[in-house]
Amino acid sequence: MSALGYLLSRSLANSVTHRIKRLRQPKYLIGAVLAGVYIYFYFYKFLFAAGQNNRLVLPPEEEAMWRHLGSAILFAATIALAWILPSSRAAITFTEAEIAFLFPAPVTRRTLIIFKLLRSQLAVLLMAVLFTFITGRWRNGIDAWTRTGSWWIILNTLTLHRIGASFALSRLHERGLADWKRRLAFLLAVAGLAFLVWHTWRSLPPMPAPQNMQKGATGTLYTNRIFQTGALPWILAPFRLVIAPYFAHGTAQFLATLPAALGILLAHFIWVVRADASFEDAAIETAKRRSVLLAAARKGEARLSQTNGKARVPLFRLRPKGFKATAFLWKSLIRMGGRRTLSRWTMFFLALAGGAFWLTQQKMSNPSPGLIGIAVAIGGACYLALLLSFIMVGQQAAGQLRQGIAGMDLLKTYPLPGWQFALGELLGPILIGTLIQWAAIGIVTTLAFSFVGKHEEGFNTIGLSIIGAVAVFLPLFNLGTSILPGAAALAFPGWFKSTEPGAAGQGGLEVMGLRLLLGISQLLLIAISFLPVAFFGAAAWFASGLFTTVFVWKVAATALTAGFVLALEAACGIAWLGWLYDRFDISSE
Amino acid sequence: MIAVDGLTKLYGDFAAVSDLSFVVHPGEVLGLVGPNGAGKTTTLRCLAGIIPATRGKVTIDGYNIAEEPLLAKQAVSFFSDEPRLFDYLTVRQHLEFTARLYHVADAKERGKKLLEELDMADKADLLSSELSRGMKQKVALACGFLHEPRVMFFDEPLTGLDPLAIRRTKELIISQARDRGVAIIISSHLLHLLEELCSHVLIVKRGTKAAHGTLADIRAAHEGADLEEIFVRIVGEDAGK
Repeated sequence: MSALGYLLSRSLANSVTHRIKRLRQPKYLIGAVLAGVYIYFYFYKFLFAAGQNNRLVLPPEEEAMWRHLGSAILFAATIALAWILPSSRAAITFTEAEIAFLFPAPVTRRTLIIFKLLRSQLAVLLMAVLFTFITGRWRNGIDAWTRTGSWWIILNTLTLHRIGASFALSRLHERGLADWKRRLAFLLAVAGLAFLVWHTWRSLPPMPAPQNMQKGATGTLYTNRIFQTGALPWILAPFRLVIAPYFAHGTAQFLATLPAALGILLAHFIWVVRADASFEDAAIETAKRRSVLLAAARKGEARLSQTNGKARVPLFRLRPKGFKATAFLWKSLIRMGGRRTLSRWTMFFLALAGGAFWLTQQKMSNPSPGLIGIAVAIGGACYLALLLSFIMVGQQAAGQLRQGIAGMDLLKTYPLPGWQFALGELLGPILIGTLIQWAAIGIVTTLAFSFVGKHEEGFNTIGLSIIGAVAVFLPLFNLGTSILPGAAALAFPGWFKSTEPGAAGQGGLEVMGLRLLLGISQLLLIAISFLPVAFFGAAAWFASGLFTTVFVWKVAATALTAGFVLALEAACGIAWLGWLYDRFDISSE
Repeated sequence: MIAVDGLTKLYGDFAAVSDLSFVVHPGEVLGLVGPNGAGKTTTLRCLAGIIPATRGKVTIDGYNIAEEPLLAKQAVSFFSDEPRLFDYLTVRQHLEFTARLYHVADAKERGKKLLEELDMADKADLLSSELSRGMKQKVALACGFLHEPRVMFFDEPLTGLDPLAIRRTKELIISQARDRGVAIIISSHLLHLLEELCSHVLIVKRGTKAAHGTLADIRAAHEGADLEEIFVRIVGEDAGK
């Protein structure tokens, strides 16, 4: 254990020293200052403006009851998930270096587990402090340190339970119990739980009238009664005990609730360290997967998960002759999932379109709450898809270009100008993003017509012309916004990439600040690049007013002018990107 | 000594290694050969106690690795194909850490000597993230040699090393077997390297033993063909997958 203690202490000390030393580089210093300012202002409201926002409009006792009960149920659900949906076979993870040094070394499994638990303590403590800040507004006159302690107990209990559950499931797996049997056991447990709920339900007094329930106090009392009847209080008891210190009023109550919570934590600790489950295979597999993801992240690929290893079907057949940029578009579309991605989105939007069409067939003069609910759900899904598409276009485009920088030595050997490569790589995300945006806007428009268009004079004309203009404008907008991140990565590679290889360069406050700085700069540049578009668009609007008063024509003139200016800017941007590629010096990386 | 009896490693229904048995005596160097996916790395990992075997018995230096893992592992060094070091430890700290893991009494002198032999003495205070791949490989070698193991497992040991380092590593491996009587298993696709270093060869195919014996015996059984030719004859259609 002393060797592992040495590893922990030296790694921590070296990491801190290393990060302090690299502040001599201006980019890290600026990043650290910016992150510090950001964190200060982010937590300001939690630290100093406690109790001013987001409070429920309930009497304090009722609010406390709801919070305690809700938290206990949430905690129980999180614990249950560790059994139903284990994240992986190895809830305990090791780095590749730890595997290389510690697995063949004369170290027991138990020592390895304790080492990992100790190693995670710094992260757990930081998380507890963070949660204390965030939940500070609901402080019940309790000190911050007791709140942090409560969070520490909750988070550690959750972690230990997740590890313990994964060990238990792994042992069941090793002993030849197939997954369906585990699921059967779970179903039996759910059936048992359902029986308990049913039994509790039967023993409850009759439900109050709905009008009384809405008055608050009656509803609260009734809910409280439910959770004090039958077996439910017994089922929830251990969960309530763990979270009890968090809800304690004052230090005395905190100390009184502490032994039970710590007892449960200790029981979990003993359960985990005494489990003799083999985690080595799964740990090696997980470490390998993480290493692939980390390598992809270092190359600039925004890959959130590993591919499932299946070949992706391209969206179109690539012929050996033709415009060379098409090859990069073809490749970029495969990288984004190929035909599978497109068919998933198609299914999604077909379902929404079906719902929207059905709504148009209903009587909408006085829509029922059910119809409004369906419309809100469809509109919300479209809104989320739209939001996701904008994020996706930016991220994927930047990822494609940064990946290009990582493989620049190969790209430089291809017989094509840089602008064709840049255009081809960017068109993939733009194409998928635009299709998503058009589908979402189309469905929302259909919905809007079914609710408003049938009754408002002129809505169809005005709405259609604006939506048409937006639809035409969107691909150019996507192209415009995706050029700058890639260009910035090419123009200032040192700021985008850590100068240090390995995980050493990836983390830290200063790196967070650096990313913030880059994000803000890009947003600012995008805003500036849209100024001419807005200027000429506005000019076209007013100029067209001199010749016509028809709204549709005015919108068309504005959209065409703005689109033309944006297209011109995008063409210049692509040419600039190509120029940057052609001039990029690989040795400067 | 390494004694393997009926080693089997299953992943679900798939047998990565199936009923493998062999012995490597002190001073012997066994070359583990097979096509990609034949189970070489899995075999080495099971022998080094990195992953548990599903069935079978592995004895290292007289200790059953499943029953007395700490005593068995005290005698082992495992060198993976890719050097994996801790990002925030310097070269010297890697040696100090290894010394503590294996309780090496005169670690300072041994570590210094090893770093000099591997041309790494001037890199002792660099963080591993500042080293090239070849240098990392040398650090991994130094750490593995530090506790003077009696059993060594090498998985593609020469990948990423420059010609001079390859020569020194080969000399180190040979001297460990010859001078200290270390039992060594080397897994590699570089068959000429194995011909140069190994006294014995074990060819595996789809997790099972396809041929095993001294290099001379195996050659004699194949009309004096070289190892590459023997490999192609035995592995057949699995080669190059």
